[in-house]
Amino acid sequence: MSRSAAEAAAVPATIMSRRREARPAVRAWTRWLLRRIGLALITLWLISLLVFAATHFLGDPARAILGRSATPERLAALRTELGLDRSAVRQYVSWLGGVLTGDFGTSLATKGPVSALIGGKIVNSTVLVAVSAVIIAPVSAVIALVSARRRDSATDNVLQVALLTTAALPEFVIGILLVTLFSTVVLTWLPSVAVSWTGSPWTDPVVMILPVATLALAVVPYVARILRASLIEVLESDYVDMARLKGVPEWSAVARHALGNAVVPAIQVMALQLAWLAGGVVVVESLFLYPGIGTALVDAVRNRDVPVIQALALLIAAVYVVVNLIADVLTILVTPKLRTGVR
Amino acid sequence: MPETHSPPPATPHAMKRRDLLRGGALLAASVPAAGLLSACSPNRVAPAAGRPVRGGVLRVGVSGGSAKDTLDPHNPLSYPDQARVVNLYEPLFHHDAAYRLKPFLAESLEPSKDGRTWLLRLRAGVEFHNGKTLDARDVIATLRRIVDPKAPTAGATSLSVVDAGRLRRVDATTVEIPLKHPYALLKDLLAQYSLGIVPEDFDLRKPVGTGPFAYKSFAPGDRSAFTRFDGYWRRPAHLDELHIIDFPDDTAKINSLLSAQIHAIDNLPPAYIDMIEKQGGQVLISETGSWNPITMRVDTPPFKDVRVRQAFRLIVDRPQMVKQVLGGQGRVGNDLYAPFDVAYNSDLPQRHQDLGRARSLLKAAGQENLTVELVTSGGIGSGAIEAAQLFAQQAKGAGVKVKVRITDSATFYGDRYLSWPFAQDYWFTRNYLPQVDAGSLKTSPYNETHWNDAEFNTLMDRARRESDASKRNELLKAAQRTEYDRGGHIIWGFKNQVDAYAANVTGFTANRNLPLSNYEFRNVSVSG
Repeated sequence: MSRSAAEAAAVPATIMSRRREARPAVRAWTRWLLRRIGLALITLWLISLLVFAATHFLGDPARAILGRSATPERLAALRTELGLDRSAVRQYVSWLGGVLTGDFGTSLATKGPVSALIGGKIVNSTVLVAVSAVIIAPVSAVIALVSARRRDSATDNVLQVALLTTAALPEFVIGILLVTLFSTVVLTWLPSVAVSWTGSPWTDPVVMILPVATLALAVVPYVARILRASLIEVLESDYVDMARLKGVPEWSAVARHALGNAVVPAIQVMALQLAWLAGGVVVVESLFLYPGIGTALVDAVRNRDVPVIQALALLIAAVYVVVNLIADVLTILVTPKLRTGVR
Repeated sequence: MPETHSPPPATPHAMKRRDLLRGGALLAASVPAAGLLSACSPNRVAPAAGRPVRGGVLRVGVSGGSAKDTLDPHNPLSYPDQARVVNLYEPLFHHDAAYRLKPFLAESLEPSKDGRTWLLRLRAGVEFHNGKTLDARDVIATLRRIVDPKAPTAGATSLSVVDAGRLRRVDATTVEIPLKHPYALLKDLLAQYSLGIVPEDFDLRKPVGTGPFAYKSFAPGDRSAFTRFDGYWRRPAHLDELHIIDFPDDTAKINSLLSAQIHAIDNLPPAYIDMIEKQGGQVLISETGSWNPITMRVDTPPFKDVRVRQAFRLIVDRPQMVKQVLGGQGRVGNDLYAPFDVAYNSDLPQRHQDLGRARSLLKAAGQENLTVELVTSGGIGSGAIEAAQLFAQQAKGAGVKVKVRITDSATFYGDRYLSWPFAQDYWFTRNYLPQVDAGSLKTSPYNETHWNDAEFNTLMDRARRESDASKRNELLKAAQRTEYDRGGHIIWGFKNQVDAYAANVTGFTANRNLPLSNYEFRNVSVSG
């Protein structure tokens, strides 16, 4: 991102008239996008190599699966079942071929397809992350706006201390604190585990409160602080001063002139945090027994269910790559200088 | 089963535990005194009255479970599997709360003179959940399913003595069971929770048994639901429904009990006992025969020398082990297993730490300043690593340097499992003969100590064929003496089972089998 920004700044595209440069800009933009997608694909391929190597060459999976009951006959049978008797390259190629056609193999635990096992869990985790994101974005924006507008006031100081304290706590500590406060020791208002008696946890909003609150508290401090810093920078910039001098009302100066420019770092930090959520959700899910990819991953590792571990590791990595790609695209789109300047 | 329920909470809690240590009050109801409940506790519920309440749903949190979960009556792997199997299906014999052998779906089992053919009489009028009456055909089909050579189940090895091909139905309630060779303790073999009787046309997708709860729904790794079976052959359960929820994580399990989302949990870590009681919950403590031995290979130096083994058994400070490793929730062992067996040899004197004698034995064996590596793993079970480290400390007193090597589960149970010279293992409650079959013979699948003693083998062989109970017990006691004198196990203690349940639940009693009153929820009721 920073490189394309620097390149863009070097190109004096903005001086050209809008009509004449529109077509080459679109073409440049498309080329840039394709290059980014290509890089993302290469990254994903490298990750697939890494995941495969990590699950296959760090110890014998067959032996790890059987544990105490590993007799030579059962070992041989399981190795054949897992295809471990073939060469590593052939195993990798057939696995990658399966992944590309949407077939993640057969779970060793359920003996059914991996996709059937993790499909519902992916939906559950997506709902959890999406609900959290929907709460995180406006809450962070409001906190940042209040702090930036009242910079160095008592309100701002209190907010900053609170944000820093929360940011310093790992998410499982936040989760345990929330459970202690609201569901076990102090008060018993909320359920401590996300077990719904009717169906998926998200059909039962009460059980979602603590997991969502934990994720929100883990992420809001970062987003709010970055947004506050960039808002302060923008609010003190010449063009906002100019707007104010022209008599533009303060709310309009903030909303129309400041926010748009302050949103770029926010997109980037939101993306990083969303990507983190895809992995960080593991800890929060197992704390609250939330039936998502986090608990599925912990379960798969405990069962040495290699195909499920591979699928989930690849999925989490893919989320990371895709979210970052989307953030970069959005950044380009909301920044006119970059939008017109990419080569 | 006793129909009595918890008396009004009059006995102070401390007395409950003292009673338990005496062992006499094993079956005493475990209800903490209301006066001890913290007054500020938000979870406080009026203690349930003695009379059971009919109806309601019991939600039980059970440790472990995963996508591997199964309802297969003959292949339960995890605690949640056990909890489901025990409520759906019932075996021919079972162990009662005190681990005494009792007929269950069977009425009797009598051997022929040569001990090779047994006549099994079934209880009449027992119904399956689908209304079908239990018949001898179902028993034969079940036994054949268990030992099916194409898909052998967990119980196949223990029933290998049964000649399944020649099982014969005499009439609706009588089965003739031929054995491949004489075996005196067939009843004990049949008294396993994983040998539940199922109908001839059993279908795992619609599981049917004779248990007090019938199948309603099942999601592996998540939860399962069961409804009361009104046609049950004993008094039916009080509850309308039973829900079992998997809890791979202890913290989540304890939290959900405290937040009143569930009514009972199994396997409470002893460190949480006081906390649960302060929060108004009830704690259920049961003595068990589970043991976590330190294993010495009797065929490898330095343990090849019996004096070294004897010295190591004198090194261990048993009361300290129980106090620190089990948090006081256990009792000391005497290097013998199967403490609930009628043949348990209680005449042998209790071993105590004696570092002076240990030193002189080691000196006599030429093993002063001995250094050994003790292999352990978190995968063996909770407390294993702590026990190894504590033993290493205690060994310093006898001039022995024990290096504790902590391995991951895959390494411990990997290539070298059962050949580590000095390691640990974990066993659940068993009677003497089944335990010997599993771990103390040359042919046993898990003989960690490589124990293969000529005198012991002869005694066991005679005991197996001896149909006279008192003669058999004498032989088994003599066999235990050889292990006590020369064996390779350091059995420092037996672990208590600790479970917890909410204040508004009654009907749980101490039990020497599985956790939470052997997961038997028929007598349990929920009020409010």
